[in-house]
Amino acid sequence: MKLNQLILTVAVGALIVFPALAADDTATNSTEAAEIEALKQQVQALDQKVQALEQQRESEQQAAANTNQEQIQELDQKVRILARQHELDKEDAAAAAKTQPRLKLDASGFTLSSADTNFAISLHGLVQLDSRTFFADHNIVNDSFLLRRARPIITGTVFHDFDFNFTPDFGGSVVQIQDAYLNYRYNPELQLEAGKFKSPVGLEQLQSDPYLLLNERSLVTDLVPNRDLGVELHGDLFGGAASYAAGIFDGVSDYNGTTVNTDSDNDKAFAGRIFLQPWKTSDVNALKGLGFGLGGSYESDRNGAAGLTPGYTTDGQQKFFTYSAGVIANGQHWRVSPQGYYYYGPLGIMGEYVVSDQDVKNGAALADLQNTAWEVSASWVLTGEDASYNGVTPRHPFSLHSGGWGAWQVVGRYEELNVDQSAFPTFASSTASASSAHAWSAGLNWYLNRNVRVNASFSHTMFSGYTGAVPAVPAQAENVFFTRIQLAF
Amino acid sequence: MKTFLTILLASSLGVGAGAREIKLLNVSYDPTRELYQEYNAAFAKYWKARTGDDVVISQSHGGSGKQAQSVINGLEADVVTLALAYDIDAVAQQAKLLPADWQKRLPDNSTPYTSTIVFLVRKGNPKHIKDWDDVVKPGVTVVTPNPKTSGGARWTYLAAYAYALETYGQDDAKARDFVKRLYKNVPVLDSGARGSTITFAQRGIGDVLLAWENEAHLALKEFGADQFEIVTPSLSIRAEPPVAVVDKIAKRHGTVEVAKAYLNYLYSDEGQEIAAKNFYRPRNQAIAEKYAANFTQLKLVTVDQEFGSWAKAQAAHFADGGVFDQIYQP
Repeated sequence: MKLNQLILTVAVGALIVFPALAADDTATNSTEAAEIEALKQQVQALDQKVQALEQQRESEQQAAANTNQEQIQELDQKVRILARQHELDKEDAAAAAKTQPRLKLDASGFTLSSADTNFAISLHGLVQLDSRTFFADHNIVNDSFLLRRARPIITGTVFHDFDFNFTPDFGGSVVQIQDAYLNYRYNPELQLEAGKFKSPVGLEQLQSDPYLLLNERSLVTDLVPNRDLGVELHGDLFGGAASYAAGIFDGVSDYNGTTVNTDSDNDKAFAGRIFLQPWKTSDVNALKGLGFGLGGSYESDRNGAAGLTPGYTTDGQQKFFTYSAGVIANGQHWRVSPQGYYYYGPLGIMGEYVVSDQDVKNGAALADLQNTAWEVSASWVLTGEDASYNGVTPRHPFSLHSGGWGAWQVVGRYEELNVDQSAFPTFASSTASASSAHAWSAGLNWYLNRNVRVNASFSHTMFSGYTGAVPAVPAQAENVFFTRIQLAF
Repeated sequence: MKTFLTILLASSLGVGAGAREIKLLNVSYDPTRELYQEYNAAFAKYWKARTGDDVVISQSHGGSGKQAQSVINGLEADVVTLALAYDIDAVAQQAKLLPADWQKRLPDNSTPYTSTIVFLVRKGNPKHIKDWDDVVKPGVTVVTPNPKTSGGARWTYLAAYAYALETYGQDDAKARDFVKRLYKNVPVLDSGARGSTITFAQRGIGDVLLAWENEAHLALKEFGADQFEIVTPSLSIRAEPPVAVVDKIAKRHGTVEVAKAYLNYLYSDEGQEIAAKNFYRPRNQAIAEKYAANFTQLKLVTVDQEFGSWAKAQAAHFADGGVFDQIYQP
């Protein structure tokens, strides 16, 4: 019961009781009435006080509530401000991250690039540990383990449009610079490359080393130029459906495993290539992987013995043909190479034909010799991955932990090289060289993952035209078993 | 060989028969998104009718200072439409992408529309904010972007400074104290005007947003007139956002002709109408009168009048170690 209710109850009770008492004594009526009036006034005064107290309490409560509301609003603002500040800090951090250099390390190698990718440098590598075991060759000293290639590869971009590549090779017996070039990329269609790089002629030669089907390139590559120094205009047209390259170079002899960094004469070579993949961007899946083209070179070569090949080599990298001492290049040297490939699912086929026509001189004797070679190779990825000119990417990388076994591929190749019969006996000796070689190879490639590959193959090469002594390379067929462990990234 | 070279050149240079598709990048400041969305569509239609070519215009928006820096750092802008001339001057001076006298190439100092700074307050104006004096009172929370990154914020800062100079009889010390008190009331500095609108309107922070006039109107349109109201101060600044072709980039892209036409068309009747509809004050008097109801009349001062030039204002107030750095305490 509230205080004012209690007072009212008491007052009302008094009003009832007091009249009853008054009835007994009428003499005191007037006095009692006065007392009652006084009591009424007291009750009213008390009631007013109670009301005032209640109002005061209510206003105090309201004031307290208002203060609380303001504090809540203030706190709410503070929380909102902190939340927004946090949001802005995150935005700032995200914006700042966009301007930070990017570091990437994956199966493609190590790359450091500026935030806008206008500047980048990448480190790649290629290491190939091979073994070659020859059979039935009269104990010629040639069985070996060898470090076939050991290349740190540095590539990059400066100012968005300028790409570079520097690739030394510590493999084999000679340290040499394989690639060192700068490429200005106006757009994919129009690029200008200068430095040392592969001359644009042979399809097999232009295939990147880690992606070769077998340990060594075929006899076709004996007749095309290797890396050369020069300037080349090149590009990809129509989304890659056509590509072209044309350049001027120092000029190099037919296959020469050791490349040089200078020229030996004043003559320059012109080399070019057009390659078409008409269905590359079409929806015709069966034809997307069809490509064909033509490469060629021309040089007016009067630079003596340096213009001639140091020797045509077999799959086992043994020389089976060399020009006789005293023979020199003496005029035109041109090459033509029709070429093509076809990839469809796990199937890969590649073929190439080369003519290398060269004027030679031995004393007073002159000749225009035309050497030819061709090859066809085929491969099938047993595990179903797609074959391509740029290798095989395993769907399930090898792992004893997760059970993947990588990709497995069988490969086969047939190849021939025929030296112009006019070379004998004036320009080459049948007692030292064979006039032709033809070979077949078969192998098995195991792609453990994108970076590691193991392969084994057997190659059988037969020679004709050799009449010299035994033991010698072309005196009997070459039978060689290859293995390779490769790391490429 | 001739055919091969023709194919090569055609492929490389993108030359073909029939209508071309031309791409243009307009790098602009924060609150112009809606303006240029509408304007780009109108210009594309105009250009198609005039030349038969399709023009696809991309927009990039952010704080004006940041946008200028992006162009200097390599963002391939064919045109820039920034919040203030100083930012385009920076592109001209630091990256040499356009001549120093770029502002003389189009009418009205290459400023096809103007704007000003007004206040956006919560409905009912609970803090009774009527003029700049109310904004600097203790207990008033103010939202405005960072003058270091936002063009709009720089206009706002200079408007407040100009008001204080006028109020205190050009007393620079008192004007500094005035803006110091203003920024004491700013709890969050966004990098651009759109960010500040989000802070005020969406995140519910602050009692007043110091905003571009068009941004304030857009907030009313976007969030409802039942939530906010615009208060026009007694004095503000005539903001002149300029436009320019970035010559070297446009030349490289082969877009010089279309880029010039794109900016010239801003002065056309249609361009001016679009500006006015988006609450930018048009230069064309007839169109300005037509849309007079959109724009409250107030006393407007200019940067040249009050601060000499943008270069001087920038050096004195916004450069590292300038007045803003001295008065602002985060």
